[in-house]
Amino acid sequence: MDFRFDLIANYAPFFLKGTLLTIGFSVASIILGTILGLLIGLGEMMRNKKLAAPFRVYVTLFRGTPLLVQIMIIHFGFVPLFIGETNVYISGIAALSLNSAAYVAEIFRAGIQSLDRGQMEAARSLGMTHVQAMQHVIIPQAFKRMIPALGNEFIVLIKDSSLVSVIAAPELMYWGNAMQGQYYRPWEPYLTTAFIYLILTMVCDFLLRKLERRLATE
Amino acid sequence: MIRVENLKKSFGDHEVLKDITVSIAEKEVVVVIGPSGSGKSTFLRCLNRLEEITSGHVYINGMDIADPKVNINKIREDVGMVFQLFNLFPHKSVLENIMLAPMKVKKVSKEVAEEKALRLLEKVGLKDKANVYPESLSGGQKQRVAIARALAMEPKVMLFDEPTSALDPEMVGEVLEVMKELAQEGMTMVVVTHEMGFAREVGDRVLFMDGGYIVEENKPELLFGNPQHERTKAFLSKVL
Amino acid sequence: MKKRLALIVSLFLTFMLALAGCGTSQSEGTSGGGKEMKTLKVATDAAYAPFESLENGKIVGFDVDLVNAAAKEAGYKANVVNVGWDPLFVEIKEKKSDLAVSAITITDDRKQTYDFSVPYYLSTNEILVPENSTISSGADLKGKTVAVQNATTGQEVAESILGKNSPHIKKFKNNNLAIMELLNGGADAVIADNGVVDTYVKNNPDKKLKIIKDDSFPMEFYGLMFPKGSDLKADFDKAIQKLIDNGKYTEIYKKWFGTEPDLEKLKQGK
Repeated sequence: MDFRFDLIANYAPFFLKGTLLTIGFSVASIILGTILGLLIGLGEMMRNKKLAAPFRVYVTLFRGTPLLVQIMIIHFGFVPLFIGETNVYISGIAALSLNSAAYVAEIFRAGIQSLDRGQMEAARSLGMTHVQAMQHVIIPQAFKRMIPALGNEFIVLIKDSSLVSVIAAPELMYWGNAMQGQYYRPWEPYLTTAFIYLILTMVCDFLLRKLERRLATE
Repeated sequence: MIRVENLKKSFGDHEVLKDITVSIAEKEVVVVIGPSGSGKSTFLRCLNRLEEITSGHVYINGMDIADPKVNINKIREDVGMVFQLFNLFPHKSVLENIMLAPMKVKKVSKEVAEEKALRLLEKVGLKDKANVYPESLSGGQKQRVAIARALAMEPKVMLFDEPTSALDPEMVGEVLEVMKELAQEGMTMVVVTHEMGFAREVGDRVLFMDGGYIVEENKPELLFGNPQHERTKAFLSKVL
Repeated sequence: MKKRLALIVSLFLTFMLALAGCGTSQSEGTSGGGKEMKTLKVATDAAYAPFESLENGKIVGFDVDLVNAAAKEAGYKANVVNVGWDPLFVEIKEKKSDLAVSAITITDDRKQTYDFSVPYYLSTNEILVPENSTISSGADLKGKTVAVQNATTGQEVAESILGKNSPHIKKFKNNNLAIMELLNGGADAVIADNGVVDTYVKNNPDKKLKIIKDDSFPMEFYGLMFPKGSDLKADFDKAIQKLIDNGKYTEIYKKWFGTEPDLEKLKQGK
């Protein structure tokens, strides 16, 4: 089998640039997606069904349509509408965050609903408002339960970030495609990118496990 | 202190409380007994509106908590509650469990809250457990912490919802002991329980509930010694 | 360390190849040229009108008509399958498909890995810009942002002006996306094959685009692409020559491009 490591070595600077951008996309989208997801999850759980409806529609739309299509619509539709031209960084982070938020919202909702009703009752019986009870009693416990599911979502997000290569965002997958196009050899670029994604997701997994252990001993 | 007028509570089509009227005086210890499904727990939970009130009035210190405009959080500060399953906050230490509400609701400083929490732990005999997490406590210890947590808000009334039902028999005594002490200090208490001995010894008055009504109420020695109603007699013959 | 990495990667590679091998049992026998009208699997990327595109789910275009006519001439049936541009090269390299037709330019680089038929189409690249653009030649593209389809000769032309892997070149999965980027202000120009550019402008007069031709851009020839050493190449070379000689080629060309083919220049490509 001829596997040309020399070609990968030639292309290493681009893989490095791409990897850094992939990390950037992933970290930014994980942070924004989680914050947004928490808010949407809270919105979904509002007792007033009419107020909760838009949040449910949001989750349905973003979970029910392909991320690839969302990326295209945001890149070619929404972003030019707001800033007058396309911008891969804004489009990429926006699409990944908005998509991830829908999943985080559901994880969050499941985490809260898995808690015993008695926790909320105990907090309320002590005179806490609904918001105080959520803030000090419910969310901290739900968050702990959410970590495995959130970790899974983060890993999916890192891999999904490769989809922004379709709008020519110069991240890891983009350079993998570009290298394939330059040398007309598929395995070197694709296995290299796969290997780098694997390392990124393993690091993410490692960090989450560490966090999980720390929270468990608290 | 507490006045309940024509209280009704339904879950969907099922009417659990059918017209309850009762008054509870300051410093009075009222024990509520009755068969399961009689509505006694629901009645207790209506007293701090953990259950929405379907119709009727519940006055706590003259404020009608059935009125949706009333600030229920303010009233709950004066009404402590102890649950059958303790409902301690598992992510907080024993001390933090007790300090949380005074700090967040009453905006008491950390130092004051901590000092008070330690005093309450001493009172329930658990000062050495201040820094452990609830999961390492026995059931009886958990329930005593839960009582201390409720007391930290300096309530005027304490509601107990079957506080010993989830405990192993050898732990029932330590919890009842704390409750007895509280009664002797003059706390107004409403206790739903199956502990007839406690009702007899500590209660000022016993309510017997069945089928969503208060069937009979009297001083414990009279209710237990000379029940008037057939259903009371039938119930007591089974539990005594 | 390097050795161990190589081992891991080659294990991974073997695994992936094994997986890839599982999914392709429907490709009927690729070798052993019996004369009983064998069906050939023809890979294409049907996003390149008028060469090949999807119309109501069917793959149609100049390339499709040509490969069908040539296959018939050579005594085969052709089953054109839309696999996408990048996978197309994998298909041929791994002999999962018998040949590929997808407006593939014959280049020396590609010849190292694949075999090509005689040229069947002459192409040059053109520059697509907004109507009000000041760009008038390839040289004007210096310092501008150019959108191309990844791994096309349009990209090579852009790289010859802007430099290899220049951040000013945006590489898209297909030309439609590259042109959308241009329309939305994310690029100053698109470089693509004349066939694509002409057809796009003809079909979208409302988009206010114009075509810039540059004679310095190299001429290119499209060929059918085969796995290295395929014995089908000789059959198809003969078939294409026959189509050109008997006028069938001109007929198909006019149907799709509306103009006469330049047969003299096409011959230069041999």
